[in-house]
Amino acid sequence: MQTRSGIAVSPGVAIGEALLFGSEGFQIPQRFVSVDAVESEVGRFRAAIEAVSIGLEENQRVASERLGDEYAAIFGAHRMMLRDKKLIGEIEGLIRTKCFSPEFAASRVLRNYAKVFQNLGNPYLAERAADVFDLEKRLLRALLGEKRPELSHITEHVVILAHNLTPSETAGLDPEFVLGFATEVGGRTSHTAILAGALEIPAVVGIGNFLADVSPGELVIIDGGRGEVIIDPDEATLEKYRVSLESRKQENARLAELHELPAITPDGVRVHVMGNIEFPQEVEHCTERGADGVGLYRTEFLYLGARTEPTEEDHYNAYCRVLESMSDRPVVIRTLDLGADKVPASGASFYEVDNPALGLRSIRLSLRDTPQFKIQLRAILRAAVHGDVRIMFPLVTTLLELRKAKMILGDVMEDLDDARIDFNRDVPIGMMVEVPAAVMLADEFAREVDFFSIGTNDLIQYALAVDRGDPNVSSLYRAGDPSILRLIQMVVDAANRHGINVTVCGQMSSDPRFIPLLVGMGLRTLSVTPISIPEVKDIIRHVSVGQAEEIARHALALDIARDVENYLRGELSRIHPEHSPVD
Amino acid sequence: MKGENGLHLVPCSQIAQCAGGFDCEIRILKGDRAVDASNIFDLMSLNAGQGCQLELQATGPGSDEAVDSLAKLFESDFQGHVKRAD
Repeated sequence: MQTRSGIAVSPGVAIGEALLFGSEGFQIPQRFVSVDAVESEVGRFRAAIEAVSIGLEENQRVASERLGDEYAAIFGAHRMMLRDKKLIGEIEGLIRTKCFSPEFAASRVLRNYAKVFQNLGNPYLAERAADVFDLEKRLLRALLGEKRPELSHITEHVVILAHNLTPSETAGLDPEFVLGFATEVGGRTSHTAILAGALEIPAVVGIGNFLADVSPGELVIIDGGRGEVIIDPDEATLEKYRVSLESRKQENARLAELHELPAITPDGVRVHVMGNIEFPQEVEHCTERGADGVGLYRTEFLYLGARTEPTEEDHYNAYCRVLESMSDRPVVIRTLDLGADKVPASGASFYEVDNPALGLRSIRLSLRDTPQFKIQLRAILRAAVHGDVRIMFPLVTTLLELRKAKMILGDVMEDLDDARIDFNRDVPIGMMVEVPAAVMLADEFAREVDFFSIGTNDLIQYALAVDRGDPNVSSLYRAGDPSILRLIQMVVDAANRHGINVTVCGQMSSDPRFIPLLVGMGLRTLSVTPISIPEVKDIIRHVSVGQAEEIARHALALDIARDVENYLRGELSRIHPEHSPVD
Repeated sequence: MKGENGLHLVPCSQIAQCAGGFDCEIRILKGDRAVDASNIFDLMSLNAGQGCQLELQATGPGSDEAVDSLAKLFESDFQGHVKRAD
């Protein structure tokens, strides 16, 4: 048994047989061939060169017809590389003298060339390494025949272990068969990580080199909550995980019965439980669990996923997709919240500052880059014809920022009017409350917006001056800190004084312990991770508003985070023993 | 080198293809580094950017013709010579 740790990006447990993918998605079956087989292996290699060459010729012909010779020349160049005498000589040399398999020899030689290109210090040539990798892929495909499993065509239960998965490969994974995955590279905010969460597949990334320690088909456990991969587990470990998987299954089956039931407290108060989404496809995770709407539609993926800035139609189509699935339920679209930990692939230089969380990000960026901001606003206003859309501005800190954003929205409406384009001019406008300054001015803000949404993730980080991504201080990051509770109470009170709606959309509202507290503090709308919707509803259906208010009163009187959290944990297990959170 | 991207993938393939059609030995030099003009990988690893001075050398049968053909490729900045490899 061997345990390797990485970054936990998508919770859950997966137990299954390992399906291995090397750096470029191929499994090289064997590195060496027997001495007697050398000549037949060389013959196999030459046949592969022929096959790839024919394929490239065909590509060249098609590209030439469709795009012109200029583009087709690339494939001609690939053929020249493939037929390079020195290259072929080197690969055959390795097969003959070292008994390398053609796959291993070709991969090694081509990778050496790619490395040379990458190390020349010339960005253009460094990119050509991709051409070499492409050639390697083609050669391996020809050598391995159709044995390579397409990730999207997996039809057996497996756990995927890979050097890396591209976002498109991840998006194509079928959660029915792919029980979980683990990769050597990747970070918390990589697209692959975000997608894993959206697909609800247990996943661990950034483990570092570990593929060499696993054999194909070996039993592995992926613990997406702890960020661990256990290779060849012993009987006791396996049993422990099987039990936890089974109890999770039973719990899910029980919660599934809640999908159609509304979140109503035993004393008859309706609480709206909405879903937080990032990708349009996630809307189904919300609807199937009976969400009351989408309380936070993050739109960063439109920017992060693409190489070029998204067009108005890209925005519009994504929004319409979500609205269609939600029919008449509300969808709160948050405008661009880029910056800090979310940086687009194009990586403009202003992102590289010492303190990005306090830098040019989010609404500040939108107010600076108004043309891009207007494109998004146009798309939202147009899409709003098809459903109950609300616009939300992130990271608003001063009233001037809010007014500027609203003014730009007004300009966009005028433009649409002038162009006689159909749109909805009565879209409610709200703001995220996630900066302590905005909490202090909540009464002033409440006069100028239609709703508040409390973003606890950033509010906690700014109020407690803690970067939760920094392991040295992450233990100080506590949603249960009394200061956080009071900040939230201030926002709720201000909203109530001015008769506007208020939601909590941070991770705090997906944490079972905090549900009774938030209801007791007066919140009637919560927006949570889709997977948490049934659990949140379940708790609400077990706690009366009277009880919740009592819990809130008691919690607000405590003066350290640990006491608050312990108290809330105790109350939760009293209200609903099955939700006692596991640590 | 006139082209913006210098001696990039497509020019290298054209040079290698052209050089491969002659029996003589053709080398391209950048400073004191020389590579076989018929080897596309070596040509690219010359890392010859725009404005870079290169020298052509050929020895053996047909070397004059070979240098002429290659010089034309460079002069035309690899335009209009996008031949399909046969």
